[in-house]
Amino acid sequence: MANKQKTDVLQDTLALMVLKTLDVLGSLHGYGIARRIEQISGGLLAVNQGTLYPVLLKLEQEGAIGSEWGASENNRRARFYRLTKEGRKQLQVEAQDWEQTAAIIARFFAAKAEDLS
Amino acid sequence: MKSLRRFLSRLASFATRRAQDERLREEIDEHIALQTDENIRAGLSPVEARRQALLKFGGVEAIKQEYRSARGLLFVETFVQDVRFALRSLRRAPGLTAFVAITLGLGIGMTSGTFSMVDALIFRPYPVPHPSSVVTLAGTTRDSGFDDFSYREYLDIRDKTKSYDGVVANADMEAVGFSAEPGTTPRIQGGMMVSDNYFHVLGVEPRLGRGFREDEDQVPGRNPVVVLGPDFWRHEFTSDPSVLGKTILLNGTEFTVIGVAPDSFPGMEIFGHPDFYMPLAMAQVFSTNVQKNFFEDRDDRELNVRARLKPSTTLAQARNELAVLAKNFEGEYPEVNRSRGAAVYTQFETRIREDESWKFGVTFVILALAVLLVACTNVAGLLLSRARARLREIAVRLALGAGRFRLIRLLLTESLILATLGGLAGIAIGYGVVEWFHTFQFMTELPWAVPFRMDTRVLLASIALSVLSALVFGLVPALQSTRVDLANALKSADVDVPRRKHLWGRNMLVVAQVSMSLMLLTASFLMAHSFQRSLLERTSFGKDHLLMVGFDPRLLQYNAAQTQQFYKLLAERVQVAPGVLSEALTQNIPFGGDFDEAVFVPDGFQMPRDRENFNSTMDTVDEGYFETMGVPILRGRDFSASDTAGAQRVAIVNEQFAKHYWPAGDAVGKHIRLDNRNGAPVEIVGVAQTIKYEGTIEKPMDFVYLPLSQHPVARMLLMLRSSGDPLQLVQPVKDIVRTLDPNLPMSQTRSYEDFYLNQAVKGPRMGIDLVGTLGAVGLLLAVAGLYGLVAYNVSRRTREIGIRMALGATSSDVLRLVIGKGLMLVGVGTVIGMALGFALEQLMNSMLFNAGGVDILAYVVVVPSMFLVTTLAAYVPARRASRIAPTQALRYE
Repeated sequence: MANKQKTDVLQDTLALMVLKTLDVLGSLHGYGIARRIEQISGGLLAVNQGTLYPVLLKLEQEGAIGSEWGASENNRRARFYRLTKEGRKQLQVEAQDWEQTAAIIARFFAAKAEDLS
Repeated sequence: MKSLRRFLSRLASFATRRAQDERLREEIDEHIALQTDENIRAGLSPVEARRQALLKFGGVEAIKQEYRSARGLLFVETFVQDVRFALRSLRRAPGLTAFVAITLGLGIGMTSGTFSMVDALIFRPYPVPHPSSVVTLAGTTRDSGFDDFSYREYLDIRDKTKSYDGVVANADMEAVGFSAEPGTTPRIQGGMMVSDNYFHVLGVEPRLGRGFREDEDQVPGRNPVVVLGPDFWRHEFTSDPSVLGKTILLNGTEFTVIGVAPDSFPGMEIFGHPDFYMPLAMAQVFSTNVQKNFFEDRDDRELNVRARLKPSTTLAQARNELAVLAKNFEGEYPEVNRSRGAAVYTQFETRIREDESWKFGVTFVILALAVLLVACTNVAGLLLSRARARLREIAVRLALGAGRFRLIRLLLTESLILATLGGLAGIAIGYGVVEWFHTFQFMTELPWAVPFRMDTRVLLASIALSVLSALVFGLVPALQSTRVDLANALKSADVDVPRRKHLWGRNMLVVAQVSMSLMLLTASFLMAHSFQRSLLERTSFGKDHLLMVGFDPRLLQYNAAQTQQFYKLLAERVQVAPGVLSEALTQNIPFGGDFDEAVFVPDGFQMPRDRENFNSTMDTVDEGYFETMGVPILRGRDFSASDTAGAQRVAIVNEQFAKHYWPAGDAVGKHIRLDNRNGAPVEIVGVAQTIKYEGTIEKPMDFVYLPLSQHPVARMLLMLRSSGDPLQLVQPVKDIVRTLDPNLPMSQTRSYEDFYLNQAVKGPRMGIDLVGTLGAVGLLLAVAGLYGLVAYNVSRRTREIGIRMALGATSSDVLRLVIGKGLMLVGVGTVIGMALGFALEQLMNSMLFNAGGVDILAYVVVVPSMFLVTTLAAYVPARRASRIAPTQALRYE
């Protein structure tokens, strides 16, 4: 159970990263997204890059991203993902939520004993 | 919203799952190829580059699995897989599959077929909107909780109660003489008088025309209007809409057709579906009781009263209100309402009171369920043996990491498919049972029909039964076969190390089978036996060489004097017709349906304090009755021509009646007073033998005969004893009736023997046949099951037996070894079965036969034969085991 929750959190974080990546870089294939996340997050996807694909599928099912076949750098068939309008909205909302949560947590951790008395 | 969309897209991708798998494979390949290129650019060797890329990607198969579970509906997908797998493995064992389907089909079909009976008799809701708010109001007396109301009482109830959105009344459906135009001989049809608000309150919209208006039911005799029943309209008027406004003749009176009831409303009764509905105000044309005034006499109780409960009122409130009203009646009209109450019944309560045949239905369902249970245990046993043969397969699956739950699901899917096949066979058999019920026909001109149907409700019940039985017979084998010791199971083929728990389940099956089928057999034997016995009891009156013909001069609006004159002339003329040995007129005949009730006070009998009078079934007969019907007068005399209307009133009672009220002395010469203690004294002049009056299974009951001359009745049956074939008298009788009145219809013209056989023998016989079939099927299944289990045990222990024999055991030792256990189980099953059978006997006695005591013969016959048959089933495989050559047995497997 605990394990499942952990992967759920990971998946949610990963989903947000995918959305942001596509928002910044536009249309991208799976490998590209994985590379980008790895670079920026500093090794989150250094292993188990494959976990990205279920997340991509989930986002696609929710309508946040779309996909179509295209040609990769080495001229082979690859699936390219792009942000939809809905995805952009979702990104906005979730980014906001995230910042809010982060700010609250940050304030909480910064609080000292005297602040609370 | 998000999750809905996700679900829909999952649903979509479920359909395209193959293409999707392909897409993922391609994406992964591409991903790894790109990573490999990258690694090569970073300076790794191609081989190492690919290895690193694969490592970095993670477990490909795990990802695929995760992807799949996120993609589609995993549950459905695996279910489809399971179904495929199960179908494949069942196809590989067609014999087993067919056996299981037939076995279960018998159980399910018998149950749903008999359930259709209980459904029609008890559960099927009234064919009106919001049927659950329709309640029945009934009078209660010391002897009955389901008595009718009189017209006056109905009006009071309608006007003085506040619990209802309308109170309606209807008389029983009666024979009505119908002719489409004047001058034609009327035909007997079924008509029902109803209150003006009947259709409106019940919520029935006529399919054509209108229902009754309030003013059409106010002045007696003013508004001859009629609403047709849907079937009658279809058959008689070929669904002609122009029938509205047409004039038809009912009992010789012109009626205007104002409406046609819808197809959805065949009537409120279970069996009878009226052809006509007429307003109560037309009662003088239809009322059966000529001695009373329908509109005035508060004790002319002919009406069934129903009401629609207001949504805001509870049943308890309605009951209180009606009880108070009944108390008021009692105070206001002590003469006719003493110790009379009133009750409000729901549909269910009404149904279990108005017709008792449901008790047979329930008994049949219980027995059919027992058959189903035997079938289920049989199938469970089979699956258990089969699961053992698959033990290695299951062990391999478990070892490879299949979840136990997943495997149980797989095995249950297989059971479910078997149950579905069984359910299909069951529905077919159920239809057969219902069709067979329909071979019974009521011998009456009235529109009565057997109401049992395979409707949606019964079909749903069959499906529920199938699923339930799948769980019953599938769960135990599935649980047991997935709980294996892996190490052992993989090592050897024969791993069934006997574990107590394991064997316990299997032994339970044998015990359950033996006891269930013993119960079934006892019950069917019991029913057959008591029926056979009651067929011979008190039925020695004449049945052959008798012609019956019904007359009802009211159909032509004869008055009382004309009616008497008609019967007088009819009797005189048929007596002298060639071929007629003797003649009788009677209001009713044995097995001809419900008899009228006489209310009386016996002279010189110490009345209980709280009683005013007694009731007894009665018949009105002429002086030829006892001779013609062959009912002996034991003491005193027969009715005679001197018992005229003006003479001393006389009666003949049956022996039961005489013993009841004059246990010490002779009843002849004693007097009874009709209605109450102030009634005219009626002298008992004779005591007749007690026979059966209303049904084959009937306790001896009190009975009074009154002479036709002193107690005129309009509707009579003419009984003729013939020297030859009674049907040859039909034409002479027709000719005689034509000379008396060419328009008077003859009804129920048939040989009394046929009538008797249909009423007294055929109906009950069908019940016996049904129970007998259930018993036989149960026994057959139990024998097959027992044989299978013992044979299976033998095959499992073949090697052990070989070793024992090699070490010097004799074949009788082996026989004892194998059969001993089986016999013990049969013994335990027999004891339990006897207990169950005994309990069922008590139940049947109290419900059906009204007879106490134990039918020893049932046990003397059934138990030993059951024991013998089951022992044989165990013996055959055991004997085979004892003949195994040790060398062969040791090489086995």
